[in-house]
Amino acid sequence: MTHLATTLPALLRFPGGAARQDSWGRLIKVTAGGARLCTGSRLTKGETVLVGFELGGESLLIPGRVHDAFPDDDGQTVAELRWSDMVERKRLARALLDVLARS
Amino acid sequence: MSAIGLLAKENEDREHLATMLGELGHRVEGAARLEEALETARERRPRAFLLVDGPACDAETMTRELLRAFPLLPVVVALKTRDARRAVELMRAGAAEVVAPPWTPEDLKACVAKGLRFQGTSISISGAAPLSRSPVWFALAAAVFLAAGLGVASKRRVDEAARAAAARVDQWQLPVRHPAGLAFDGKAVWLVEWFTQSFYALDTGDPSIKIVRHLTAETPVAAAFTGEAVWTVSADGGVTRRMRDERLTPLARYPRAAPSSAGLAFDGLYLWTLDARAKVLRKHLVDRELSVLAVYKWRGTKPAGIVFDGKTLWTLDAGDRRLLRHSLERPEDPIDSLPLPEYAAGDRVPSGLAWDGTRFWTVAASRDERSPATLIRHAEEPPR
Repeated sequence: MTHLATTLPALLRFPGGAARQDSWGRLIKVTAGGARLCTGSRLTKGETVLVGFELGGESLLIPGRVHDAFPDDDGQTVAELRWSDMVERKRLARALLDVLARS
Repeated sequence: MSAIGLLAKENEDREHLATMLGELGHRVEGAARLEEALETARERRPRAFLLVDGPACDAETMTRELLRAFPLLPVVVALKTRDARRAVELMRAGAAEVVAPPWTPEDLKACVAKGLRFQGTSISISGAAPLSRSPVWFALAAAVFLAAGLGVASKRRVDEAARAAAARVDQWQLPVRHPAGLAFDGKAVWLVEWFTQSFYALDTGDPSIKIVRHLTAETPVAAAFTGEAVWTVSADGGVTRRMRDERLTPLARYPRAAPSSAGLAFDGLYLWTLDARAKVLRKHLVDRELSVLAVYKWRGTKPAGIVFDGKTLWTLDAGDRRLLRHSLERPEDPIDSLPLPEYAAGDRVPSGLAWDGTRFWTVAASRDERSPATLIRHAEEPPR
């Protein structure tokens, strides 16, 4: 596993029915199958969130389902996300490969 | 207690944040201007900066300037108006954390603590003296190591089971021979059968038949469910909007609105139909005539179904045995293609497509039309 120098900022959007304001957080782990997100927003297990971030020059907006969510020691929420869009997952996998190949 | 450098143009903001930081146990070095903040920081050596973003103070520029002078110090930005895009821009500019308004001690504490923890490098000339460990400590450490090992092994088994489940393809033979379409209503998969003029609701687990609905006055060929209605197409091209009740009560009929239909899908605003003969996608406005707003060339071999996955359209190409993905803006140019290896043998012809939120489902008739139809639940990520 390669660690980036900084954590990735992420824009969080919620599906129309959720009627929630956009929010933000940081991706502290990213794989082609999912991510670990740290945010000040409350996330609950099972909900869907659209995660926008940039990786290796690629802008990605991937819907993810919250597989697990728990508060961390600082009072923020850490959420385990599973990407639910196959095409975006493949784009992310390509971006990850590109970044790993260059690191 | 940590010293925090505070940069806020307005006196009111500075006092408000200084009070909160003080209550959290931090020593605050307030400043109204960047030069003042830099000067104070050189003298007092704070462990982090807190900036207020506003019209009079561009936090993005301030963050860059502060990080240029103190690259290892975390910078936390407090927004005066909530703007998620702005927050992400600030984090890309180097801010460790961004606090949303209204500022509360809880949010401020979480963001400052996170900033202090995640940013900056701790530098020390000599390491701490080694601690003396008792036998109890070693026994506990061994127990923790063993438990962690078991936990990791258990987690791997669970992960492997989840991966295997995602990759699994399920196939079932159905007690019908002439499937025409497939749809998902949120709970069950609905099979459209033209020969018996019927709809069958199938359980997604086994899949046994739960409900049967006969439409004796028409020959259904496709269906699509929306939140409050179900749309059906008959062989003569007539589209019917129905209630989602036990009898599928018709609400409105649109004669010859979808000729030679291979399927239909609703994207939340427009109804999309796929014409198997003309090989075109039609975009309909849901008005009294189901007016056609646009017609797009469909670039496949044999259209057999269409579905909306919440973001894009997918069509089933029975000729090339693949799924084509289309954006709503330019559906004439497929943006992706997924092969369906389950149909590689060529003994079955896919005729319907559904999406249950995580997987595609297809239904196929046997090529000789004498064997039972097959229902396939595809892998979560089809092999390419």
